Amino acid sequence: MKRTMYLLSAVAALVAMMSISSCRKDPLKDMTDEESRIYITNHDNTADFKSYTTFSIVDSVVVLSRNSDSAKKALTTYDKQLIASVTAAMKQRGYTQVDKSAKPDLGINLTRIDNSYTSINWNPGWWGGPGYWDAGWWGYPGGGWYWPSYYTVYQVNEKQTAIDLFDLKNAKNDKFNVVWNALWRGSGVWNTSNVDPMVQASFAQSAYLSKSK
Amino acid sequence: MKKIKNWLLIFAGCIAAQAVSAQSRPPLSIDINYSIAQPLGSLKDYTDKTSFRGWSAGLSYMLNDRLSVGVRSGYQDFYERIPRAVYPDKQGDVSAVQSRTLQVIPLQATVGYAFTPATSAVIPYGVLGVGAANMNYEKYWGEFVEKKNSWQFMVSPEVGINVPFGRYSPVMFNANVRYNYSPYKYNDITNYNTVQANVGIKVHIH
Repeated sequence: MKRTMYLLSAVAALVAMMSISSCRKDPLKDMTDEESRIYITNHDNTADFKSYTTFSIVDSVVVLSRNSDSAKKALTTYDKQLIASVTAAMKQRGYTQVDKSAKPDLGINLTRIDNSYTSINWNPGWWGGPGYWDAGWWGYPGGGWYWPSYYTVYQVNEKQTAIDLFDLKNAKNDKFNVVWNALWRGSGVWNTSNVDPMVQASFAQSAYLSKSK
Repeated sequence: MKKIKNWLLIFAGCIAAQAVSAQSRPPLSIDINYSIAQPLGSLKDYTDKTSFRGWSAGLSYMLNDRLSVGVRSGYQDFYERIPRAVYPDKQGDVSAVQSRTLQVIPLQATVGYAFTPATSAVIPYGVLGVGAANMNYEKYWGEFVEKKNSWQFMVSPEVGINVPFGRYSPVMFNANVRYNYSPYKYNDITNYNTVQANVGIKVHIH
């Protein structure tokens, strides 16, 4: 009995000491890239997604980086995949793709944001800068973007990808509303093989984004 | 490391002293325990998993045969990973794997009462700990952390037994159950409630 007690105490004290030295479970230690990623979607509550029929998507992806003042357009394998996946998802939701010259109801901009982009503004920030598609590209020369106030500010200090869907149908004074937005953050958001699942996830959590619903 | 070595030396010394047969226990004692804690209430909603990563240590002084006062501290790490889900947030809808963690370091003053004389083979006792706890809240959204470190009041009643390794032995086996309550509020946690089981050793050193 006494010996058992001694043993128990010794073991308990030992375990306690061990737990002092390795006291906390590190959430990042066993995290996969998939688990590290978050997909944020936001939308304009007043937008009627059934009212749109056609959309047009940019033909390349803008890359914003800290090391360069101006945005660069790119069309890598990743970018092609991104354009294809978003286009497919939009069609699946009942929208028809048209050329931007055919006055689409919805426009889609695609953006990749590189490490440590200094601007902390989610806000028009990167839009309209040199190298970006300006409103004129979308047929509204001299126009601008309007971001509803529900878009909150994010600290941008890693690789991200953003999809912005805006209303060209109800442009007011050459300004158009961003009606839906998806932002991907985390490890591997710039990997081509992850594009499709990330697009799927973003649309899946945005059931309202549909011609028929 | 050096500290641990010192403690081991103290333990060894105490055990040796006991062999020489002490007449009664010195009033000052130290205890070290391994802790397991189960979250309850809103803490359980935040992290459901029983924590096996914890310890408790204290110092207490016998005012007489029954009554003691002391201080204690410890550590407990709560952790649970929730599979990917979509959380409506003020920033929009966020799809994420959440890793919810909370690290708690209590710092309490204690008052203890032994229900039997010091000469008993088994000494049941009760302790009330009152003080504060450092709460380190870290909720990971994917690899992005939302964290807050704060102090909050904490009260912890405890009942347990001490089993001396001999009639006058200064070394005792200790086992106890403790309830921890703190009016801690942050995000999904509206108060902190845990039941904690401790097992370890108590040594009268001086």
